Amino acid sequence: MNKLFRRRAALTLAIASLGGTFSCKDYLEVPPVSTVDTQYVFSSLDGTTSALIGAYDLLSGDQTYGQRLSSYYPYDSDDIQVSGGTTLDQGRRGIARFVLDPNNTELLAPWNALYQGVERANVCIANIPKSPLYTNGTAAEQAAMKAMYGEALTLRAQYLFELIRNWGDVPAPFEPAAATPDLRLPNAPRDATYERLLSDLATAAPLVPWRSQAGTASERITRGAIKALRARIALYRGGYSLRSSGTVERGSNYQQYYEIARSECADIIVSGEHSLNPNFQTLFKNVNELRVDNSEIMFEVAMGGAAGSSDSKLGYYTGPKIDPSSRYGQGNPGINPLPTYFYAFDSVDTRRDVTITYYSIGSTNLQSPAPLFSLTDGKFRRDWRVPLLPGTVQYLGYNWPLIRYADVLLMFAEAQNELAGPTATFGTAAINTPKLALEAVRTRAFRGNTGRIGTTPTDKGGFFNMLVNERLLEFGGEGIRKYDLLRWNLLGQKIAEARTNLLALKNDSLTKPSQIYYKQVGEGMQLTSFYKPRRATVPTGFRTTPVQWLRNISTTGIGAYASGFTPGKSELLPIPQVVIDNNRNLRQNPNY
Amino acid sequence: MKKHFLLLWLLLFGSIGLVAAQSRQVQGIVKSAEGEALPGVTVLVEGTTNGASTGPNGDYSITLPAGSDNATLRFSYVGYVSQAVKIGSQSTINVTLASDSKQLEDVVVIGYQAVQRRDVTGAVSSVSAQQIKDIPVNSAAEALTGRLAGVQLTTSEGTPGAQATVRVRGGGSITQDNSPLYVVDGIQVENALATISPQDIQSVDVLKDASATAIYGARGANGVIIITTKIGREGRTVVNYNGFAGVRQLSRKLDLLSPGQFIRFQYERAQLAGTTAQSDFKSTYGTSRYDSLSAFDNLPTLDWQERIFGRDAFQQTHNVSITGGSKGMNYALSLTRNTEDGIQLGSSFDRYLVNFRLDNKVSEKFRFGFNARYNVTRTLGAGTNSTGTSQTSRLRNVIEYRPFEFVGGVVQNQDAFDETQAVSGARLGNPETLINQEYRNNSQKVLNVNGSAAYSLLKNLTFRTTIGVETANTVQNAFNGPVTPVARQNGNLPTASISTGEQITLNNNNVLTYNLTKGKHSFDALLGEETYQIVNNSLNIGVFYLPKTITAERALAGINQSAPPAGVQPTFSSPSSKSRILSGFSRLNYSFDDKYLFTATFRADGSSKFADGRRVGYFPAASVAWRISKESFMQPYSSTVSDLKLRLSYGLSGNNRIPNDQYRSLVGVQVPAITGSGTTASSYWLNETGVPGLANTALANEFLRWETTASRNVGIDLALFDNRVQFTVDAYYNNTYDLLLSQAVPSTSGYSVQTQNTGKTSNRGLEFQLSGTVFRTTDFNWTANTNLSFNRNRVESLGDIQSFNFNSNWAGSDGPSFDYLIEVGQPLGQMYGYVNKGFYTANDFEGYTSGVARPWKPKTGVAVNPNAFAPEGPGDVRYEDLNGDGVINDLDRKVIGNANPKFTGGLNNQFTYKTFDASIFLNWVVGNDIYNANKIEFSSALYPNTNLLASAYNENTYRNTDPVTGQLVTDVARLNQINQNATQAAPSRGRYITSSDAIEDGSFLRLNNVTLGYSLPKDLVQKLKITGVRFYVTGSNLYTFTKYSGYDPEVSARRSSPLSPGLDYAAYPRSRAFLAGLNLTF
Repeated sequence: MNKLFRRRAALTLAIASLGGTFSCKDYLEVPPVSTVDTQYVFSSLDGTTSALIGAYDLLSGDQTYGQRLSSYYPYDSDDIQVSGGTTLDQGRRGIARFVLDPNNTELLAPWNALYQGVERANVCIANIPKSPLYTNGTAAEQAAMKAMYGEALTLRAQYLFELIRNWGDVPAPFEPAAATPDLRLPNAPRDATYERLLSDLATAAPLVPWRSQAGTASERITRGAIKALRARIALYRGGYSLRSSGTVERGSNYQQYYEIARSECADIIVSGEHSLNPNFQTLFKNVNELRVDNSEIMFEVAMGGAAGSSDSKLGYYTGPKIDPSSRYGQGNPGINPLPTYFYAFDSVDTRRDVTITYYSIGSTNLQSPAPLFSLTDGKFRRDWRVPLLPGTVQYLGYNWPLIRYADVLLMFAEAQNELAGPTATFGTAAINTPKLALEAVRTRAFRGNTGRIGTTPTDKGGFFNMLVNERLLEFGGEGIRKYDLLRWNLLGQKIAEARTNLLALKNDSLTKPSQIYYKQVGEGMQLTSFYKPRRATVPTGFRTTPVQWLRNISTTGIGAYASGFTPGKSELLPIPQVVIDNNRNLRQNPNY
Repeated sequence: MKKHFLLLWLLLFGSIGLVAAQSRQVQGIVKSAEGEALPGVTVLVEGTTNGASTGPNGDYSITLPAGSDNATLRFSYVGYVSQAVKIGSQSTINVTLASDSKQLEDVVVIGYQAVQRRDVTGAVSSVSAQQIKDIPVNSAAEALTGRLAGVQLTTSEGTPGAQATVRVRGGGSITQDNSPLYVVDGIQVENALATISPQDIQSVDVLKDASATAIYGARGANGVIIITTKIGREGRTVVNYNGFAGVRQLSRKLDLLSPGQFIRFQYERAQLAGTTAQSDFKSTYGTSRYDSLSAFDNLPTLDWQERIFGRDAFQQTHNVSITGGSKGMNYALSLTRNTEDGIQLGSSFDRYLVNFRLDNKVSEKFRFGFNARYNVTRTLGAGTNSTGTSQTSRLRNVIEYRPFEFVGGVVQNQDAFDETQAVSGARLGNPETLINQEYRNNSQKVLNVNGSAAYSLLKNLTFRTTIGVETANTVQNAFNGPVTPVARQNGNLPTASISTGEQITLNNNNVLTYNLTKGKHSFDALLGEETYQIVNNSLNIGVFYLPKTITAERALAGINQSAPPAGVQPTFSSPSSKSRILSGFSRLNYSFDDKYLFTATFRADGSSKFADGRRVGYFPAASVAWRISKESFMQPYSSTVSDLKLRLSYGLSGNNRIPNDQYRSLVGVQVPAITGSGTTASSYWLNETGVPGLANTALANEFLRWETTASRNVGIDLALFDNRVQFTVDAYYNNTYDLLLSQAVPSTSGYSVQTQNTGKTSNRGLEFQLSGTVFRTTDFNWTANTNLSFNRNRVESLGDIQSFNFNSNWAGSDGPSFDYLIEVGQPLGQMYGYVNKGFYTANDFEGYTSGVARPWKPKTGVAVNPNAFAPEGPGDVRYEDLNGDGVINDLDRKVIGNANPKFTGGLNNQFTYKTFDASIFLNWVVGNDIYNANKIEFSSALYPNTNLLASAYNENTYRNTDPVTGQLVTDVARLNQINQNATQAAPSRGRYITSSDAIEDGSFLRLNNVTLGYSLPKDLVQKLKITGVRFYVTGSNLYTFTKYSGYDPEVSARRSSPLSPGLDYAAYPRSRAFLAGLNLTF
């Protein structure tokens, strides 16, 4: 019996050992080798860099800053409107004229792309700190991993910020989707999301080096960009927006956020890492000549690859109209600066002829004037490209600047003015008052005529009004104006003003020309004055056929401009219908 | 006691040699109750391994050691009640064995265990070697078709070596693999039907309900097919030769236009299509005069079907087996060689199979077995089908290529490449030329080795371990010569590709069984553990731009000779994957008085396909059976009812045949595009340089789990007249839930879809099996068995959606946007399209205006498709405007067909008369629809110069040209006059449209097999010193009763997806075979 027992015991042991040579968990854990899983990616610097590049990817391309976010969404505003006059559609014109519903065809893809960006950033944010290199790598590896963590936080902030300023209280995922039990996220209150982003960016900034320590000049994010974005988000947090209640309200405790903006901007100014390009035209020619200038352009979207997923249509969809058979290649602009915007510039302000183009180029490369109501913008123009790119290719590789140092100066001016007034000092930098900051920007613009910059008001209200105007002049065509007006709660008012001013301008033929004359000078042209009434006779050597100027402003055109703007509704875009249909927890924006 | 027994046994065993000198002989003859000598009966001295077996005359002789007077001889033979005879002092012992009325041979393997059929409590269908021995086929799938209730085998097409689609009770999964699990001699084997010779099969048991399959847990939901191979019997060595040879012929041809009809149709088409088409006609055929076309009437028809498929394809099979055994050791060695030419030129199939099986009973306590199978298959030829679209189909060249060889008065060199046919949009090529240009050589080598050992630990407790390794190596060589469609997309230069794959599977199970019988209680239990691993490695390389004149052989041997233009890389990939399952399982059987039977099984499976924490699934099942015939109230009928049993079962089983790593976040450089179609690179252009980025390629779902089937079964087994008639009926209701479906997710996640466990389907059905001896006399015996199955499939839920559509994509961009609809409340396999409503007549139009996009302006109220590829005119096909909105468009489609049959079945009759034997096997499928895409393409004239089915253009077809002048008629009255007897639409010049015209009844009754055999009389055979000789002739697929107009109604051309069953497109035409064979037994 004893023997029998031993045999049984031996058998039991034998079976147990068969089963026990491997543990169940190890045996069933089969890592993929032909495909790459997330854990593997974040186990190396190269892999992490690639994943981060994947998170950057969504900034570029047609659906985001390559076209939709840079050229469709920021208009109509008091600087620029979308082309097409009275024609309405369920696309870009519907958006521009504020005549749109949730089925507008240009809403879904940008929405999806931005959230794809959020997701990719979330994957990086969740996984980088878990990487062995983050905690146990060499000092250099740890620093690199931390910097990338900071970049990922910044990218997520940028994507979510773009979502919020267009759509308001949008879902805000802060975890990778695969780790989210219920993907039907509800609307998240924007103030709370902004708080989180501000805190994320505060975490991120110290992890990422300033541009001088970042090695070779690159289009990656540096500390200055993070601080500038934090300042911008703080101003939006402290600014007005259309709430889900249907009223436009300012964020609570707004001064607190103006303080954040002020301090971040002051940090940047005092760091000396960034500066204004002395020449406004060179600044943008650099973009058109595909040169990196990360001194003034602190945060930009890198474009390239001549594909809808990675490039931009800047210079094709913006800039002057150019015949495809010219040596420059095709320019097919879809946006038009308002005539009032043209006349908002001082005649010696160098920004006017960079921001606005009043010519088109024909098949034989000759310029001819564009009529006043069909002016085109000019910061991104194909005829400036180096090297030239003939033909009908629509992708020119032009980067999209997100934040310039000029914006930092003006944000500082705005915040400090609001908190302490135009001449109150803050910090120890050479530029430490709102007045100095604004004048730095204005002086650069009046290069060659700095004496004409005028007097900066020293009262808070007067300074604010001047700042509102200065930002209009500085940032035209950079997709900033409409959102500035929204956070100041001035969009409706400024649209109404623009409409009134357009009508007034149309009838102002006593001080402005109703028609202008031009003559060819080489491939360029010489024009009669924009600031005098129409000449009674054709100047010698000029073409006898005049170009319509004030007369070109049509009343129906004025009527069409931003025609559907409805306060309490138009401040936000509608959430795409498909998105609402797919998520019962989501609420549509007011009045859509 | 046990120890003593062992000692005794050892002593006996060891002493045999020593005592042989004092031995004596016993001899005798063993006969059946009918007086027939029984060869191969095992004669064994009880309690020893001393044995013999009977010879051809039933005679035996055995040497006994001295002192054996008290010993007992045991005579045993499969199918007979074994008998024990005390030896005493007798020297001659003649025995008559009674046949075993307890259901001949009937042991059923139900997973890790064999049980008597009479004790089975679940639903099991079986086929034995006896039933398929008359069917001389090379494919196990073909041998089983129609023979198993509840199992539908559809050989996808007629190509030699074709794969079969096997569905047990309908299949529950929507998007995943519905293939059953195969277990061969206790080892899980992938795709067993392709690697086993039908001659080696002893029995096939198909486990159908979860009470039977739950023991296989996560792999059991689609049924389990258990194959047992042949093994020798102790006592005698039997050598068998089984050979047959014969020819296959195309069983049906499609009627096409004759040269005269062809040219007239092309003329009419050119008239309709306009001046460019007319001048093309002239340059192609050398005339533009209608009256000159009669010259074509007398041209000999080039029958491409005859040329390509018309040959008598020779095939031969030789199978030699040696089986036998001695002293506890049984073995079987079988060698099979098949060569089979396909009916299509250039196609053939060639296979060597070796199967070796050994069982060794070392002692009463210990036995081991070994089994090795090696299989080398080579398939030549591109076939007719391809997974691509119509542009890469090959059948179309055979049907559509010009049916004569005079063009423009010039004899065409048929071997030369005809540019005119290739460049017209149809991209046709001479089918003979293409066969030589499209070289395909696929080979497969499968080695399967397994061993098992069993040890009786105690009298009732046995431990058994089985381990199996299979390596399958495949090589697919493809070469496309310069005129093939593939080469024409790559600079008109040859392309070649080599794909190699290696699959290694490793399976080990360890099982403890315990049984106890006490009085009326019988109890057995099983406890086991199993591991299963599959490793796949492949290496694929493809090159383009090979030298123009290179041969297939040189290209494949020197693939580096390609010279692609800059930027065009060769394609290459080396995917590798591994998956594992670790399981524990148990079964309890209990029966009381053989009257009440109860079985419970439980299995836990852990699979590497799921996330940690969700890997393990539990699959319980239980079944009960009540043997009513044993109850006292049934005793009065016991002479009639030999057995009556009621069975009930319920259980869960799973399907984990899903791709690996679905739960994991995988990362890649290419990701789905935001716009929803295709993929884009996730790169970012820093400083004008593309930097590759990585991103998740899909939204992983770490919550994924098994697709699970809950199955309920109720069945009755009835045996009458001393088991002469056996009847089984089963009814079942299976729900499959947690089906994996791609579900839309909120895009705020960064993704649009995710694979989720959301769908539900159900299958319910009835199965009948009837077998019996219809007639039995000494000379004449007639047995028959038949089965009939009804299955109803239904999609119960698709998660958040009510329906989705699927495009079989047989015609690519020339075809419909989708042609199948998957809808809650309806079965899978719903075909979707327009409803035909005759054709437009001239009266439907206001009149004709030449030179405009739509020359015939429809009258108010006549619905046309405003975006038609070819605007409608008189004679064009008309579709029903289902929604009545006045236009024909995508909204006017509906479900127009259902691929699910109402019922399927088979009837096998076997006759013997003296030494003659015969069998007739019929099988049928009733009530299914076939989506005849061949008909759509071969009736359309989307492209010029393509031949059509004769049914598409004949005297009843609407004409737009004047029968006398051949000129286009645009006058309403004249058109009406010409077409007063027209009953059929003109061939369409538009894109291919799925409509009710293409949906045909797929019902058929097939005379599947007729065999006649003759065995030489015993006395003659004995003189030749052999055991048996049988000659036979067989005809396979002799006749099919069907209304289906295509080649064959048994077709499933798109087997890779379960979403498009019943599609007939470019399938390899089926053939009929005439074979003669010989069985020799030594």
